[in-house]
Amino acid sequence: MGTFLRRVWHLFNRRRHERELVQEMSEHRALMHDPAKFGDSHRLLERSRDAWGWNWLDDAAQDLKLGWRGLMRAPAFAITAVLILSFGIGLNLTLYQLANVGLLRPPDIKSPETLARFKRRSPGTSIAGVPYPLAQLVASENTVLSAVLLENNTAVAWGKELMPLTAAFVSPNWFSELGGTAAQGRLFAAGIDTASSAPALVITHQFWRTRLGSDPNIVGSTVDVNRIPVSVIGITAREFVGTDNDQPTVYLVFDQREHVFPDSAFLRSWETETTNLYGRLKDGVTPEVARESLRALMTALREQQPDYIVENEWLEPAMGSANFMDQGERTGIVGALSLLGLLTTLVLVVAAANVGNLVLSRATGRSRELGVRVALGAKRSRIVRQLVIETLPLALTGAVAGLLLAGWTADSIAAIGGMADNISYAPDWGTIVVGLAMSVITVLVIGAAPAWKVARQELMAAIKDGGQQVSISLDKARLRRVMMAAQVGGSCLILVLAAMMTRTLQRVLSDDLGFEYEQAAVLEPGLGRHGFDDAGAIAYWNTVKARVEQQPETAALALALAPPLGRRVRENGYEDAPGLEVVSNSIEPAFFDVMEIPLVLGRTFQSGDDPKTTVIVSRALATAMYGSLDVLGRGFPRSQPEATIVGVAGDAHAIRIEAVYTSELYRPLSPAEYVQAILIARARGDAATLAPVLREAASIDSRILPGVGLLRDSFARRVAGTRVASGIAAGTGLLTLIIACLGIFGVVSYGATLRVKEFGIHLALGAERWAVIRLVVRHIVWPVAIGMTLGVAAAGPIGVALTSGPIQLQAADPAAYAGALVLFVVAALTAALLPAVRVLKSDPIQSLRHS
Amino acid sequence: MLILRVLRQEPLHGYAIAQKIRHLSSDQLSVEEGSLYPALQKLLANGWVKADWATSDTGRKVRSYRITPKGLKQLESEQDDYQRMADAITAILEST
Repeated sequence: MGTFLRRVWHLFNRRRHERELVQEMSEHRALMHDPAKFGDSHRLLERSRDAWGWNWLDDAAQDLKLGWRGLMRAPAFAITAVLILSFGIGLNLTLYQLANVGLLRPPDIKSPETLARFKRRSPGTSIAGVPYPLAQLVASENTVLSAVLLENNTAVAWGKELMPLTAAFVSPNWFSELGGTAAQGRLFAAGIDTASSAPALVITHQFWRTRLGSDPNIVGSTVDVNRIPVSVIGITAREFVGTDNDQPTVYLVFDQREHVFPDSAFLRSWETETTNLYGRLKDGVTPEVARESLRALMTALREQQPDYIVENEWLEPAMGSANFMDQGERTGIVGALSLLGLLTTLVLVVAAANVGNLVLSRATGRSRELGVRVALGAKRSRIVRQLVIETLPLALTGAVAGLLLAGWTADSIAAIGGMADNISYAPDWGTIVVGLAMSVITVLVIGAAPAWKVARQELMAAIKDGGQQVSISLDKARLRRVMMAAQVGGSCLILVLAAMMTRTLQRVLSDDLGFEYEQAAVLEPGLGRHGFDDAGAIAYWNTVKARVEQQPETAALALALAPPLGRRVRENGYEDAPGLEVVSNSIEPAFFDVMEIPLVLGRTFQSGDDPKTTVIVSRALATAMYGSLDVLGRGFPRSQPEATIVGVAGDAHAIRIEAVYTSELYRPLSPAEYVQAILIARARGDAATLAPVLREAASIDSRILPGVGLLRDSFARRVAGTRVASGIAAGTGLLTLIIACLGIFGVVSYGATLRVKEFGIHLALGAERWAVIRLVVRHIVWPVAIGMTLGVAAAGPIGVALTSGPIQLQAADPAAYAGALVLFVVAALTAALLPAVRVLKSDPIQSLRHS
Repeated sequence: MLILRVLRQEPLHGYAIAQKIRHLSSDQLSVEEGSLYPALQKLLANGWVKADWATSDTGRKVRSYRITPKGLKQLESEQDDYQRMADAITAILEST
C-alpha cells in the first residue's frame, strides 16, 4: 500500500483510529508507576494527528463551516449570489449540452468510427445525395466497403385519412449495421425483406408513442401507405436514433418502394439525386484509402454514364465519429459555437465579477474581524484561504443549480425546437465536469481575487478605527473598478447583440417581406413520384388550373418550381456580385401577381419566352451586379451573358426570409419542370377556404395524394426558430443588464454608506445637494464609461461574424445600438442614483452628531 | 531510529517499547513517555511499522507494533547516516 493510500485509508477510519490511540495511551499510563511523566494526552493526540498530514483538511472544513454559517446569516446575499451564479453557469452548460448532444457527439450507433457518409464532390460543387442506380453500382463494385447503407426520405400518405408523413426508405441492412434493435416485433433483414416479399413497415418508437397512442396491437396489423396495404413488422427500440437526430416516422424497404409508388421511376432514375449513401469501411481501410478507391470507381462509372457523372467526380467520406460532417461543415459549426460560447462565457464573467464585488463588499465590512484574526497570529495565506474557501459553498450551490437549470432548459429548447425526443438532453458526465470546471473558475474570480486584495490591507490597523480606513481604501480599489467595467462591458455587448436579434426578428415579422403570404395556399402533388412524364404533367396541370380557376374562392394562381417559404431551392453565387447569394426559381408569368411582388421595371414573362435565355432579376441583384436598376435588355450574368433581362422585380425574401444578403432570380417554367412544379393560389377571402378546393381539383388523377399547405403556416414554422432564439437572446440580455445594474447599485450604495460622515461634513459646510450626488456617483463614472465603450466596440465585429451562418443577424443596425445604449444608460443611472438619493434623504448631517 | 531499532528484534507494544528504550539507554533517555505515540503514528503513516491488537502476558489488550521490510530498510539507511555523522563529529573532536 502506497503512503498516500495509507493516509487516505487513515482519513476514512480516523475516528476509530483515534479512539484506539486514546485507549492505548490510557493503558500505557495505567502501567506506569508515575503516570504524570506520560505528558499531556490532548497535546500528544494533536501531535499524533499531525503525523498523518490531514490538518489542512480540518482547517478547510472549519473554514467551510464558517463560510456556510456566514451565508446562512445573510440569506439575501446568499440567494442573490447563487441566483446570479446559477444563471451564469446554467447558460454555459445549456449551450454546451445542446451543442454536444445535437452537433458534436457522434450519433449513438454501432462503431461510428468506421461508418462514413459519402457526398458527391467535383471541383466547385457538392451534392449530398446520389441517384439510386449509382448507389447500387457503388455497393456492388467497390472493394473498400464491407456494407453499403442507403436511405431516402419521402413524403407518403398514411392511413385512410391520407395523413402526410415523412417515411424513410432504407436498405434492409440499415438496422443491423447501425446496431438498432426492436422494441417489438422484428426489424428489416437482408434476404428476408426483398423486392418480391410482402411489403413490410417498421415504426419508430417516437411515432408509435406520439401519434399512434402506443397501440399495443400495432405489430402484425396492416396499415395503408399511399392507399396500399402494408404490414407492420416491428417498432424500433426507444434509443434508436438512426444516423442523425432528424427522425423519420416510419421505415420501408428500398426495394419495395414500387409497392407504394407503383409508377415511380425512382429506382431506375439517374436524375433524382436524393439517396443518402453510407458505407462501412472494411478493416484497415482509412477514409483516405476509401476516397481514392471510390474515385477510381467513379471514373470507371463515368464511361457508362457520362451524362450524370461529371469529370473528376469523387465521393467524399464524412465519418460517423465526426457526426457525418466533413471538415468544412465541422469548422463552420465549431466556429459558430465558439462564438456563442464566448458570449455565454462573458455572461459567466459578468455574473462572477458581480458576485466578486459583493464578496469584496462583505469582506470590507468584516475587516475588523479579520484584523482580530491577524492580531491573534493568523498568517496572511490563512486569511486568503479562509476567504476563498468561504466562497466555495456559493460556487458549488451555483454549479448544482446551474446543472439543474441546464438540464431543464436544454430539454425545453429541444422540445420547442422539435428535436428528437428519445435523446436525453440531461447533463452527462462531460457536462458535470464542465460545470465543475466553471465553478472552479468562478471561485477563483469571486474568491481569490478579492481575498488577495483584502489580505494585503493593513488589517491590524482595522481594529483601531473599526475598519473605517481599510474599508474605504478597499472601496476605492482598482480591482473593484475593473470588475465593474467588465460587468458593464459584457452586459452592454450582450444587450446590443440581443437588440440586433430582436430587430432581425421584427424585420421578419413585419410586412416588408416583399410578398403576400396570408392568403396563399400551396398544392404539392409530387407528380414525379407517381410516374408522370413531361407531357402527362403538363396535361395534368392544365386541367387542375382550369378547375381551380373556376372556383369563386380563387383570386389568382400560378405554377412555380420552388414553393415560397419552402426548402427546395437552388442557390448560386456569381463572380459579378460577390458575397450575394442568388436564389433562383422557375415560375409562370402570373407568379408576381399571385405573390403580390411588384414589378419595378420591365415586364413579366410571356408565353414565348425561352426559359434558357430570359430572366427577371430582383432589385437587390440588379443593384449588386450592375450598380443600377437600368438593366433591361442587358445580358445576365454581366461578364458571361447567357440570358437577357426583361424585368426587375421587388425584393422578396420568399425562400430564405431571415436572410439579408440574398437576392432572387426568376426564369420561365420550362416544360421539363412541370413534373416537379407546385401550384400557388391566392384566395379572395380566408386562405383556409382554398385547401378543399385545391385537394378536390388535384384528385382528378386517382394516383395523386395531394399535399396542401397554407403559406401562413409555413411562415409560422419558419420564424419559430428565430423567435425562440431572439427570445432567449433578449432574456439573456435583460438578465445581464439587471445583474450589471445590481452591481452598480451595490457598489454605489456601499460606498455611500461608508462615507456618509464625509457627505455630512460637505453638507454642513454648505455644499449643494447635487454636488454630493456627484461625489457619490463620481468613482463609478469611468468604469461604466470604459465598459460601455469596450462592449459596444466588441459588438461590431461579433455581430458581423454572426451575419452569415445559421443566425443571420443584421449587424449594421444603428437602431439596435441606440436602443441598447439608451436602455443601458437609463438603467445604470437609475441604479447609481437610487442609493445616492437615499443617502441624502437619510440626512447625513445627523450622522455627524452620533459620532 | 531508536524505536525501529528496538522493534527489529521483536514486535512490542507501546509500554514495552518505552521500557526497552529506557533500559537499553541505561535511563539516560527517559523523556516524556507519551511522546512515543506521535512518533509511532509517524512510523505507521510512513509504513515503516504495522500495528495489531494482541493480548499481553498480563492479559491486557494491547497494540503490538512490528517492523515492516520498508521499515528495516529505513533503519539501515538511518543508522548509516548516523554512523557517518558520528564518525565525522568524532574526527573533528579528536583532531583538536
